[in-house]
Amino acid sequence: MSNLLPRHENQDAASLNRRSFLRTGLGGALFLGTVSVTASLSGCATAPADRLGAVETRMDASYRFRFLTADDIDLFEALLPAILGSALPAQPNARRMAIAGTVERIDAGIHQFGPANQKELRQLFDLLNFGLTRITIARVWSPWPQVSTEQANGFLERWRSSGIGLFNNGYMALTKISNVAFYGYQENWHLSGYPGPPDWAVQALPQFRTS
Amino acid sequence: MSLNDRIARGLESGWKVTDGATLTANHTAEADVVIVGTGAGGGTTAEILAKRGLSVILVEEGRLYYQKDFKMDELTSYANLYQEGMSRVTKDGAIAILQGRCVGGSTTVNWTSSFRTPDATLNYWGRQFGLEDLSPDAMAPWFAGREERHSMSPWDMAPNINNDILRQGCEKLGFSWQIIPRNVKGCWNLGYCGVGCPTNAKQGALLTTIPGALDHQTHMYHGLRADRLVMNQDRIESLQATAMASDGITPTSVQVTLKARHFVVAASAIGSPGLLLRSRLPDPYERVGKRSFIHPVNASVAKMPKLVDPFYGAPQSVYSDEFNFSSGVDGDVGYKLEVPPLHPAMSAGVVPGHGDAQVKNMASLPWMQSVIALLRDGFHADSPGGTVSLRDDGSPVLDYPVTDYLWQGLRRAFYTMAEIQFAAGAQRVRLMHLDSDWYSSWADAKAAIDALPMELHRVRLFTAHQMGGCGMGSDPKQSVVNSFGEHHHVSNLNIHDASIFPTSIGANPQLSVYALAARNSTRLAQRLRT
Repeated sequence: MSNLLPRHENQDAASLNRRSFLRTGLGGALFLGTVSVTASLSGCATAPADRLGAVETRMDASYRFRFLTADDIDLFEALLPAILGSALPAQPNARRMAIAGTVERIDAGIHQFGPANQKELRQLFDLLNFGLTRITIARVWSPWPQVSTEQANGFLERWRSSGIGLFNNGYMALTKISNVAFYGYQENWHLSGYPGPPDWAVQALPQFRTS
Repeated sequence: MSLNDRIARGLESGWKVTDGATLTANHTAEADVVIVGTGAGGGTTAEILAKRGLSVILVEEGRLYYQKDFKMDELTSYANLYQEGMSRVTKDGAIAILQGRCVGGSTTVNWTSSFRTPDATLNYWGRQFGLEDLSPDAMAPWFAGREERHSMSPWDMAPNINNDILRQGCEKLGFSWQIIPRNVKGCWNLGYCGVGCPTNAKQGALLTTIPGALDHQTHMYHGLRADRLVMNQDRIESLQATAMASDGITPTSVQVTLKARHFVVAASAIGSPGLLLRSRLPDPYERVGKRSFIHPVNASVAKMPKLVDPFYGAPQSVYSDEFNFSSGVDGDVGYKLEVPPLHPAMSAGVVPGHGDAQVKNMASLPWMQSVIALLRDGFHADSPGGTVSLRDDGSPVLDYPVTDYLWQGLRRAFYTMAEIQFAAGAQRVRLMHLDSDWYSSWADAKAAIDALPMELHRVRLFTAHQMGGCGMGSDPKQSVVNSFGEHHHVSNLNIHDASIFPTSIGANPQLSVYALAARNSTRLAQRLRT
């Protein structure tokens, strides 16, 4: 939305925004203003992952990431086993595919969120990915690729039960994005006993005809 | 695609519809009236003005989706048809905002409930805001006219089980209940109103007033974002707009200038104050964006002994107003009881949880029933509403503080919903609250609700009804427009959407928007034609 305000107003608003930072929403926590900058200086991936090579990842090489960075993908690969639990297939290959597909749908969903909520999520993910804040705020000691499902669950439980509303909000953001992207996907409908749109209606409606 | 579809047929016949994503160069267009927004208010206004012979340009930020796109899929629909891809929240993130963003606005995705503005609300507006000309008697013909235009009538098929459980619980407890009027014609009773009606049964703006306006030479732009209204001395001269790319999200460099004699803003209770604020229109008493109301919603889910299949059937057909006005119009906050449809993504987003507990929650979906309470905010000094302001990028955001007065109402609503569900035979009930367990008796639930902390982020809160922010009233010090939606300070500007409501409605608002827009557009047409 960069063109919505004349330039000088944008800057006024930005400085005003800095003053009210502590009181703002999801990402507006504490240290976040500087985390993104620091994270990029310290070598964290801050650009969208774009196409990831199929060799070094489990991702579908044809999917082009528009929001999630390589670090964000590590984060979700660590969190999804804790968020989705036994809904994920046990068979290793199927499990990897289910996680990879969910991460892609999370990325596609966030793209549609638009700039304002993307900014909030950027701050949240940077906070979780940057070592210092990951340790002090999330109290997760290892980098995400080394975090066990048990440890990831511990983190989710801490943020869920925290007396700090921002952490509750972070818990809801992470679980909601993941749960919607996973349970809403056709291949997972059976996990909620949902048969899909009634077959007779699909048969009768013109928008489902392929020709 | 079938030419039986009203939109496909109209496009084929040469309707003037421009997709912003196809524009490659800046351009300027002119009409008698430019209308921003194609929802309940904008559509109604466009049709009435166009049929009176005025030339009309309609502007929609979202894109044109119609039957060919409505495939009963949640993820696609939430991403494309809702504001911020269904991720819109209040400023502190505590309240999820369900709001349409497409041609037809929220009427394309609403659950079709069609209520007149309650008499008590209209009478309160008369007393408090000098809006005596909106009395129930004066408004009755406008409601009747819109009920006919949008084929609204009480649902005459049996309610689905999800809704019937609300009825049963109310019956058992001696609470009143009623059948909901719906705006449908030839409804297949499928249950997918919220993701775009797949059968063209829903008579929202998309299939009524928008085609009516386009049949009368209206030029509609979609994928075009209204940036600001530009004043020249005391009148608005043009609307500056930006074309959006085909993803509906990314602005392009193409600028569109739309000139007119008169402008009507109908961009919703969040979008309209946002546009006025960005435009820096005269606002000497700083009323724009104030008194924003949302019918705060909390929810309870129940596990029933028999299959509910809450994803099938007309989503809303039974309601209870037992507690809506029981403390008077301006006493303890009242709430309307309704039922939401539960599809997998919606449920996964509403029911908080993770891990194996969430796997179990989701696995019980076919047996799940839910009741929601919609609080009637804005009728009490302790319910002053929220504030729409601009983010640093110019986009609007709603800050909505939840006052103790509202928390008390939300707690009472938790009791009521759980009691109703147990009375209807629920095996277990869970409040949508981070600290709620599943409770297996009304006594257990009651004791738990006594102790639940009523706090932001712990109580799951929602809104599907955004109202206010450009409130109407007779006193310019207290309001933005008069009872005809005419701006107090800018002579060629009307506002025709839910943003002009001076309080919430106390019922699903679409018919209130249609009726007021019809009344005010009829007056506007007379003004502009003389």
